[in-house]
Amino acid sequence: MNLDFSQIVPYIPFMLEGIWVTLKFVFFAIILGSILGTVLALFKIGSAKPLRWFADAYTSIFRGTPLILQLMIIYYSIPQLTGYDISPFLSAILAFGLNSSAYISEIIRAGIQAVDKGQLEAAQALGVPYGAMMKDIILPQALKNILPALMNEFITLTKESAIVSTIGYLDLMRRAQVVGADLFRNFEPLLFVGLIYWCLVMGLTVIGRMVERRLKLSD
Amino acid sequence: MIDVQALSKKFGDNLVLSDISTNIQKGEVVAIIGPSGSGKSTFLRCLNLLETPTSGAIEISGKNLTASRKEIHKIRQQIGMVFQHFHLFPHMTVLENLMYAPLKAKGVKKYDAEEKARQLLDRVGLAQKAAAYPNSLSGGQKQRVAIARALAMEPELMLFDEPTSALDPEMVKEVLEVMKDLAKSGMTMVIVTHEMGFAREVADRVLFLDHGILVEEGEPESFFKNPASARARDFLDKVL
Repeated sequence: MNLDFSQIVPYIPFMLEGIWVTLKFVFFAIILGSILGTVLALFKIGSAKPLRWFADAYTSIFRGTPLILQLMIIYYSIPQLTGYDISPFLSAILAFGLNSSAYISEIIRAGIQAVDKGQLEAAQALGVPYGAMMKDIILPQALKNILPALMNEFITLTKESAIVSTIGYLDLMRRAQVVGADLFRNFEPLLFVGLIYWCLVMGLTVIGRMVERRLKLSD
Repeated sequence: MIDVQALSKKFGDNLVLSDISTNIQKGEVVAIIGPSGSGKSTFLRCLNLLETPTSGAIEISGKNLTASRKEIHKIRQQIGMVFQHFHLFPHMTVLENLMYAPLKAKGVKKYDAEEKARQLLDRVGLAQKAAAYPNSLSGGQKQRVAIARALAMEPELMLFDEPTSALDPEMVKEVLEVMKDLAKSGMTMVIVTHEMGFAREVADRVLFLDHGILVEEGEPESFFKNPASARARDFLDKVL
C-alpha cells in the first residue's frame, strides 16, 4: 500500500473551494432545467400542435446526444459563430440546464398525466381558468408524485457536473486533477473529491426526504 | 333557464345521446334516471360543456354554450357541479377547497370568501371540519363538502352526477338531506340519480333516458305509478 493522504493536506482548501464552484452552476442549471422543463411539459400536454411538436423534437435532440457533446458545442461554437466569448460557467449552466430540462419535462408530463382526471374536471366545473388550475391544482399534486424521480434527476445532474472539467471549469473534479498532476499522485485527491460528491448527494437525498414528508401532510 | 335543442353526442361511431330536446325552468328540480349506459351522465356533462356536444344547441340563461367556448369558464361559474367521486382537492383543507374558486376565478375578497365558506360548512353540518384535509373525511362528509364547494360560487344552477352512488349505504341519507334542503331553498337542480325514492319525493319532473334517447318525461307521481312507455315500465320493474 502506497497511500499517503498527508500529502494532499495543503491542497484541501483548494479542493474544498470546488464545492462552491460546482454547487454554483449546478444550482443555476437545476433552476433553468426545472423552469424550462415545466414549460416543455405544458407544451407536451397542451392542445397546440406546433408547441407539442417543438417540445417533442427538443426532448429527442437533448436526450438523443451525449451531454459532453452538447457542452462542447455550446462552449466552442458560440464564440465561433457569434464572436461572444462565452465563459465556462455560462456554458455549463446552459448545457446542463437545457439537457436536464428534456428529462425533467418527461418526468413532469408523466406526473401531470397521473393526476386524477376528476381534479381537472372539478376545477373546470368551478370555472377556474387554465393557468390557475395548472399552478394551484394539477402541478402541486403532480409534484408530490414525481418528487422521487425529480430528486433522482437532480442527483444525476450533480454527479454528472464533473464533466465540465473537460472545458477547463475549475470544479471539484478539475481541482482533483490539478492536485493529482501537482503531486504525481492521483488516487488520494480523487478519493477525496469522491467523498465530497457523495456527501453532496446525501445532502440532496435528505432534502428530498424532508420535502416529501412535508408534501405528505395532507394524507 | 336551460334550453336544450336536438342535442346529440357521439363517442367515435357510438351514438350516446340522440336528438334530445328539453326545457328546464328556474327553480325546477329535475331528476334524470335510466339504466347504466343510457347517456344520463353524458347529458349532464354536456350542460357545462365537460363534454362537447356533437350537434345541437344548449342555452343557459340566454347564453348559447357551444357558441361561447372562449368564455366558457365564466358560464361555468354560474353552474355548480357535484361528482360521483367528489373530486375534492386533496392538498387543500376543507376551508381552502371552498375558498379556492371564489378567490381565483371570481376575484372575491379573502375575508368575504372565508365568511361565505364557513357559513356554507355550517349549512352542510361540517363547520368543525374546516381545517381538516379531505382524506380524513368519510364519503358522506366529502360529498357534503363538495356540495358546499360548488355553492361557494353562488351558482344559479346545480348539476349532480350520481352524488350518492359511491357512498356507503349509511351515508346516503346525510347527502340527500342536504340536497333536499337545497331544493327547498329554490335552487335549480339537475340530478342524475339511482335513488328512485329521492327522485319521487324531491323532483318536480323526471326525465327517463334509455340508449341515449329521451324516452319519457313527466311528473314523478304519474311517472312512477304509470309510466307511459314499455321501456320505462321495464326499468322501474327492475329497480323498484
